[in-house]
Amino acid sequence: MIEKQGVGRWARALLPALICVSGAAQNFTQRGFIESDLDLYPESAPNDSSHAVDQCLFRYEASYRALSWLRFSAGLDARFDTHEEVERVAHLDWQDRTLLRPSLSLREFNATITRGKLTAEFGKQFIRWGKADILNPTDRFAPKDFLTVTDPDFLAVLATRVIYDTGSDSFDFVWQPRFTPSRTPLVNERWTVLPPPEEGLALVNLGSEFPGRSSFGARWNHVGSGYEFSASFYDGFNSLPVFQGGVNTRGTVIDYVTTYPALRLYGADAAVPLRWFTIKTEAAYYTSPDRQQDDYVIYVLQFERQIKEVAIVAGYAGDAITARTPTMQFSPELGFARAILAHAQYTIDSRRSVAADLAVRQNGRGSWLRAEYSQTFGQHWRATAGYSWIRGEDSDFLGQFHRNSFALLALRYSF
Amino acid sequence: MNKLAAICLLCTSALLAQGARQIVAEAENRSRSKSQQYQGTLEVIGASNKISLKRWEYRRIGSYGTSKSILRFTAPAEVKGVALLIVNHTDRASDQWMWTPSIERDRRIATQDRSTRFFGTDFSFEDLEERDVDQFDYKLAGDDRVDGAACWKIESKPKESKSSQYTSSLVWVRKDNFVVAQVEDYTKDKLIRGIHYSDIQNVDGIWTPRTVEVFDANRKSRTVLKLEKLEYNVPMKDEDFTIEALRH
Repeated sequence: MIEKQGVGRWARALLPALICVSGAAQNFTQRGFIESDLDLYPESAPNDSSHAVDQCLFRYEASYRALSWLRFSAGLDARFDTHEEVERVAHLDWQDRTLLRPSLSLREFNATITRGKLTAEFGKQFIRWGKADILNPTDRFAPKDFLTVTDPDFLAVLATRVIYDTGSDSFDFVWQPRFTPSRTPLVNERWTVLPPPEEGLALVNLGSEFPGRSSFGARWNHVGSGYEFSASFYDGFNSLPVFQGGVNTRGTVIDYVTTYPALRLYGADAAVPLRWFTIKTEAAYYTSPDRQQDDYVIYVLQFERQIKEVAIVAGYAGDAITARTPTMQFSPELGFARAILAHAQYTIDSRRSVAADLAVRQNGRGSWLRAEYSQTFGQHWRATAGYSWIRGEDSDFLGQFHRNSFALLALRYSF
Repeated sequence: MNKLAAICLLCTSALLAQGARQIVAEAENRSRSKSQQYQGTLEVIGASNKISLKRWEYRRIGSYGTSKSILRFTAPAEVKGVALLIVNHTDRASDQWMWTPSIERDRRIATQDRSTRFFGTDFSFEDLEERDVDQFDYKLAGDDRVDGAACWKIESKPKESKSSQYTSSLVWVRKDNFVVAQVEDYTKDKLIRGIHYSDIQNVDGIWTPRTVEVFDANRKSRTVLKLEKLEYNVPMKDEDFTIEALRH
């Protein structure tokens, strides 16, 4: 708690200073948007009878190059919603460890030092690894907000990152001293689906046990003549939790705690542009040193092609479990594996586009299709309308959300 | 007699081809620079005369075949910060990576079909690549005038090793300063794209068109690119044109 208040004060003190340097226009860039996002659910869920959920998000991002080799970046999110997925307490959150989304949060806050081929980045930052587009099993420093499972948002991590980039080879080292978990669906809302025996029981979260030690990762990326590949290693923790607990003695409540299994990962990815399409592949082998979760491999093979104004990405994500550990884990990565995944976008003109995403589990027990139409108005406004259609059986990760098909209406003002 | 006529015709054709190639090579030489940067303002004018504005910052190091460039959007607001790294090669299509700040991710983009429009403008990805003189065959097609200036009209066809959406192009090169004044790109005799270069100024010793207008014959739309704050041979470092540099 002391640490939280200390960093919060530090962040609050520096952010206005960062914003006030806008006079140095060449070195200062800023952008942001305000968006209203309305989700309309035709069906009720057993634990959630609401049909309309609206969220407003204000995002501001600024970057200031203080010296030719030193740059500061900061981002701030302010949210409000109608469904109590956002905290009602107004404090500046920087940790992203809360069950609800914070009403005011420091999205990122970091300093970047560049000296020749060496780049070092310190602070809260986004780190994305992997080359595939439909699923990234090697992305270990990229926790997500899964309050809406089919539409996750990335969370930044507090880390030090050092990159040595020669142009054809880059070596990336990351040390994350403080763990950032993925935000899982809320137990009293529709994106948590309980099996029928537990359906009537109350769920009581007894808290989270966050890992105490730091995480480390390294990645080597090579860009060759007509191909590129990388190899990566990660030693840390799974940002997706394991739930431990059980029904209490009165048989009316399930008490549980969330823990985060230790994780070691060996990964590789590659991209090869060919004459007719580009092949991208990514694979990771996950082991759990403390046996708190399964050992498994997730792999992705995707094909990408641009035909005139249509961009198509399609592929298969698979998994193979090499050692089982009986646990109850929230794992969208495995949930979207053993599936055909695709994304397509058609740019109608400079203002309008349509896009579609598809996931079909190979056992046929779950499928998800999202179609969106988007149009800009003038230089600042964009409206998006779409529908997310989920079908399947309760026994399947995707299929269990079959009551959660929803229509989306979003209006954004960018600046 | 017929043999003599045929030999004369062949020799004349060879001389014309050689002359045309030399003109294009000279145009390339005169516009060669170690680096280039500008701020581009684009007006995309659709068939229904709706105008959308875009702005980007462009930086290039090296030239013709071995250059690398970064193009970073500064407007409209929702694409601000989106950046593209283009690494050109003499023997194959360019490699391209895009940085999208909203998802904090760089990704290699597939450009097998380089006839794709670039970010909703009337430029195709292929139009953004630099044309190397050795990748085409040339033939002098006569003299012509563009905007009142005397020009050589040259027909160019991509060599077999060069993959292109266009089967041929007509290039007008001004006789006074060797600047390309106009290009018409064809696929099987059908006009696909027309590019008109104007507002030609001497910048740092290089005659440069400051306005480029592209016309898409299929869509009946056009894009006008104006080059502002244009500079050549600005000191740049190779390490500023890497995937890592794209993020910043």
